[in-house]
Formats: sequence, C-alpha cells, structure tokens
Amino acid sequence: MNHFTFSWGSNYIAVRGLLRALGHELSSPPRITPAIVQRGIELAHPFLCFSGKLVLGQIAAQLEKGDRRLAFMSSLGPEACRCADTCDYMDSLFGGYTGFSAHRFGGGSFDQALANLRSHFGPSVRRHQVVKAYAAFLGKVDLIHKVEKRCTALRCLAATPGRVRELKREALQRIDRAAGPAALWRVSRWFDRGAGSLPLREEGPALRVGVVGGEHILCELDSIMAVIEETAERGIFLDWRGGFRLLARATRASLEPLKEKCRGHLHGAPSTSEVFSCAHAVDFIREGYDGLLHVYAFGCMPQTAIKPILQRMAASAGVPLLSLSIGDRFAEEGLENRLEAFIDLLQARKGKGVGK
Amino acid sequence: MVVPGGSTTRIGVPRSILHYEFGGIIARFLGGLGVDVELSPPTRREIFAAGKRAVIDELCFPIKIFVGHVAYLVAQQVDRVVIPVIVGHENDRMFPCHPRSRLADIVRALGVCEESQLLTPAFRFHKDGLSVEGFQGLARSLGFSKAACSKALEEATAVNLCRRSVDAGRGGPTLGLIGRPYVTADDWANHHIVQRLQRLGCRVVTEEDAGNAGYAPEGTGLHFALAARTLNLARQWDEKPEVNGLVFLLPFNCGPDGDIARYLTGTIAKPMLTLVLDELRSSAGMTTRLEAFIDLLGRSAVAVGGRSL
Repeated sequence: MNHFTFSWGSNYIAVRGLLRALGHELSSPPRITPAIVQRGIELAHPFLCFSGKLVLGQIAAQLEKGDRRLAFMSSLGPEACRCADTCDYMDSLFGGYTGFSAHRFGGGSFDQALANLRSHFGPSVRRHQVVKAYAAFLGKVDLIHKVEKRCTALRCLAATPGRVRELKREALQRIDRAAGPAALWRVSRWFDRGAGSLPLREEGPALRVGVVGGEHILCELDSIMAVIEETAERGIFLDWRGGFRLLARATRASLEPLKEKCRGHLHGAPSTSEVFSCAHAVDFIREGYDGLLHVYAFGCMPQTAIKPILQRMAASAGVPLLSLSIGDRFAEEGLENRLEAFIDLLQARKGKGVGK
Repeated sequence: MVVPGGSTTRIGVPRSILHYEFGGIIARFLGGLGVDVELSPPTRREIFAAGKRAVIDELCFPIKIFVGHVAYLVAQQVDRVVIPVIVGHENDRMFPCHPRSRLADIVRALGVCEESQLLTPAFRFHKDGLSVEGFQGLARSLGFSKAACSKALEEATAVNLCRRSVDAGRGGPTLGLIGRPYVTADDWANHHIVQRLQRLGCRVVTEEDAGNAGYAPEGTGLHFALAARTLNLARQWDEKPEVNGLVFLLPFNCGPDGDIARYLTGTIAKPMLTLVLDELRSSAGMTTRLEAFIDLLGRSAVAVGGRSL
C-alpha cells in the first residue's frame, strides 16, 4: 500500500523506513517551492504557523498528483502541537479528494504506537513488527541527524565544501536504501570514513553560532534553512542540537535534564520545543558561542512564547541574538541581508574582543 | 491582611486570561483564605497600552492585555502577583496553548514584574476545572493549612464572579457567542459585543446558557483544551433550532482558534460570523459587520420559508 507524507526535511526517509518494515511504501514528498508555499497559504487560516502552511501545501501537491493515503509521524504527549489533532482538520480541508485518508503514527508509549498502527493497518499488526518498524524509524532518524549535523559542520571546516554536499547526498540515499540495523550500521561506518577523509581548512572557524528554534524549520535544511546553512561555507561554525531527532526520541526521562537547564528561565509548564530551545541556548551561552540564531515559523506558539525569554537570556549574557521569523513573506534576499548584518556584527565584536 | 506568618501581604490578581478562564476562582479562593486581594479593574485602553508597550508584536492580543493587567498591579505596588502555571489536563492528553502556559515566564522575561513578586502555583485541570492540588500548593506557599484551603475552596466554588446575565432580547435572532472565555467575557477586548448585539435587537446566548459544558470536554480529540471547548459549544448550538447563528470571537494570532474557525466554517450548518479581535479598534467597522450578518440571517430565514427576523 502506498502512502505519502510531508517532508520534515529528510526525515520522511525514516517514516518510509517504518512503513517498509511493515510491507508498505511511501512516496517522496515534493521539494518546497514557492508554488507549494503559496498553495499552503491559500489553504490555511492566516493564524496557522508557517510550518503548518508548508505541510498543507505539500499535502495538496501530492493529492493533486494522485496520492491519497496520508501518513504522518507525531508524538502525542506535551511534545505534540497542533499536529496531534489534525486528522479531522485535514479531512475537512481535503475530504473533497475521493479516497483521501489521514493517519497519524507515533505515540507517547509503545502501546499507543501499537494501537495507532493497528487502527490504520488492522489488528493483524504484531508487536514484534512494531518493534522492527520503530527500530528502523529511530535508527534512520538518528543517522539522518548525524549526517546532517556533521555535514553542516564540515561545510565550515572542510577545504572542499562541494565534496561535503556530495557526501551528504550519497549518505541520505544509502540511509533510504538500508534495510535493517546491520545495513544502517554499515552506512554509518561508510559515512564516518568518508567524512574523516575530507581535507580540512588550515584555519579554524571564524565564528561559532548556536542555532535554536522550531523543529519543523530547522529540519528543512535543503529549502528554508539552505540560506542559513550556506553561511557555514563562509567559515561560520553552525551548531544546533534540536530538530526532529529530539522530538522523535523525547521521553519524560530524557526531558528532565533539559528542564533542569531551563530552571530560572521556565516554570514547569508542559514540555515542548520551547524547552529544547531554552536548554540549548543555555548550553551555547555556557560554551562561549559568539552568537545565537533563533529560527522559527511565524505563528509557532512555543517559539513565540520562548522569544522574550531567549532575548532576556541573551541580553543578560551579553551574547548577540538574531531572531528570524520565517513567514508568508519569506524571501531569501531579506534573510541574507539580516544574516550578513548579524555576522558582520559578530565579527566586529570578535575583532574588538567584546564578550570574551 | 495578615497571612499566617504574621506579615501583611497584598496579592494582585490580573483580571485577564486565567481569571476569566477559570471563572474568577483564584481571586475568590485567595479572598476566602483572608488574603488582601487586589483584582485589577476591567480592561481599558490604558491597561492594554501598557501591555502592548512591553510585549513582542507576535504574541496574541489577549497576552498583550494580560501583561497590561500585570503592569497595572505592579504600579499599584502590590506585594505579589499570582500567575498560575497551567500544566495540562490530568489525563495528559489536553493542554493549554503554549503562550498561556508560559505567562509567568513571559512576564518575568519582559521585566514587567520582579521574580520575587511572582507567585506561580502549578495547576493541572480536569473536565470541570482546576485540580485541588494546585489550590493546596498555593495555600501552602502562603502559609495556610490544608483545612483553611478546603474551606476557602468550598466557598470559592459556590459562585462565579465572571458569570454574566444576558437579557431575553427583543424578538431578533438568537446568536450563540463562541470563543475563549477571556475574549467573550472581557468587554473591552470584544468591543462590547453583547451590548452591541442587544442594541441591534438580538438575543445573545453565552457558554453559561448552554449548561455545564465543563472546562475541558473530552472526546473531541483536540490537543488544546479551550479549542475543544469552543468546538463542543459550536456543535451543540449548531443542533439547537432556537439558535439562529454563531458569532465566533477570534483573537488576533490565536493559532488553535484559527484552526477551529477554518474547521467550523466547513463543518457546521448554521451561519457563522468570525470576528478577529485585535488592537485596531474601529467601532464603525464592527457595527457594520454585525449589521450585515444580522441582515443576512433575516434574509436567509425568509428564503427558507421562516419568519422574518
């Protein structure tokens, strides 16, 4: 049975791994283009976050191509957001496409995940199949995260950024093809060898910038985040610690250390992406990063709520912070201008020895 | 008032978001304990302006109002300001929206209120309202006993300060008002919509008239508690023949209600007017939209063979 989903950057590959382990297939989502963005804006209420509009645009494009069975991954607990209750909403938007169905995978526990898969594929789904499917999913999520993070760092550190881009493309294709944990392990080893063999620049990074923000946007490395990622090739070491992997792997236990880092900034309200952003900003400041980039979708409730808190944290620590809200009027030129100005400011500060 | 520790403490309660959301129970509870409570006055332009000056643009309209109320209380030199942290439903499946659960953090980060002034009891909620443990924690933090807490809570639960009485109208259409309690009950935020509609001859029914819908109704599958409540109420009134149409008050940049507005437009049968409430206040524009909607209701009633409204 063929399904489709939205991209989450390259993480649709992991969703495909889960479905293949259950004997099903997933189409590759289309790249985010201005036409897809526009379609999402037309479909959504203006107050829906920009990430949500991208999702709707991608779904509409695939429905128009003939796909009908939407499957998407979401956690169900406090880490979830609107995506936890979108099936009825999607039905109301896309019910006009005959045969359209929306189904959410994921769950706050193994039993919930099992129940969700059974509600879609029927009661014949066995526990061992779920274990296998989620092992494939999480294994691929981890490896995608490792590849993207290391390749972003290498675009700054390596002497041949073009070879880094090739390495990443090849690695993602191999992850997609890998069936089973052994195959994934071999891809991981292959990637490590490839990354380790790249010649490095003689000089170290000019600046170190910590990136925090909304997971949907941070994942979109080949589209929205591409402009930001390109700054790596100008000698800027970009680091982020959030993203889809963190959401997919979040448990109450794993969130506790992050919440502890947020003490003094956040009270004990439900844990969502603002906890990740806050905790990682604390780390970047403590580790002496030159600046912080806060990237989020306009209308993203957790990230809007955290924005004044990040501003205060950064101001108290004397670390420059640039908040980039990506919304309906997103334009690469505007983003480039703001980034250039921010980087110039960071370089000037560093040149004068400010903040050290 | 003298709290058990022997000191005199005046505690401010913002008459905004959580006050309306929970029917004023926090202020009544503190009053029942014998605490000197200062409830900020109903929202007015100066209160909103103070909030707007402090808050980042992207936060929703009600949060700007809320911050204004906190600023007002701080200016009145209260000793503490109580801003409950709403953690989520006891069932761990429904939650407040993120900015609403981060009110205390936002106020602190904006520098509106000193950390030492904040009183931030954590509350979970259930289908009917706030959980007892939150009240116990609040009473304990002020030095009151469990027995005093129980007595004050019993008294506080008996009345609802935010309940509004609505007149029977003058033969015009009956309109169901839906939306977050802190916009439907805050007359400044909603441009005095109930009075405007009544002046146009309408009968307005609010959530209280719909019976005990509870705080967070289950069964909608929704993640956000107040969106579930709005959806439930809209569906309920969609079924009632005596309600001719719905007026949905949608605060600017409210994500969950934006989703619900789009969803309701496609799924309910009754005519619905969605009014986006923001800081750009034009009474002429508001009146025009209301008149047009009522006119439309009257015409559609005639068109389907009903009486002229």
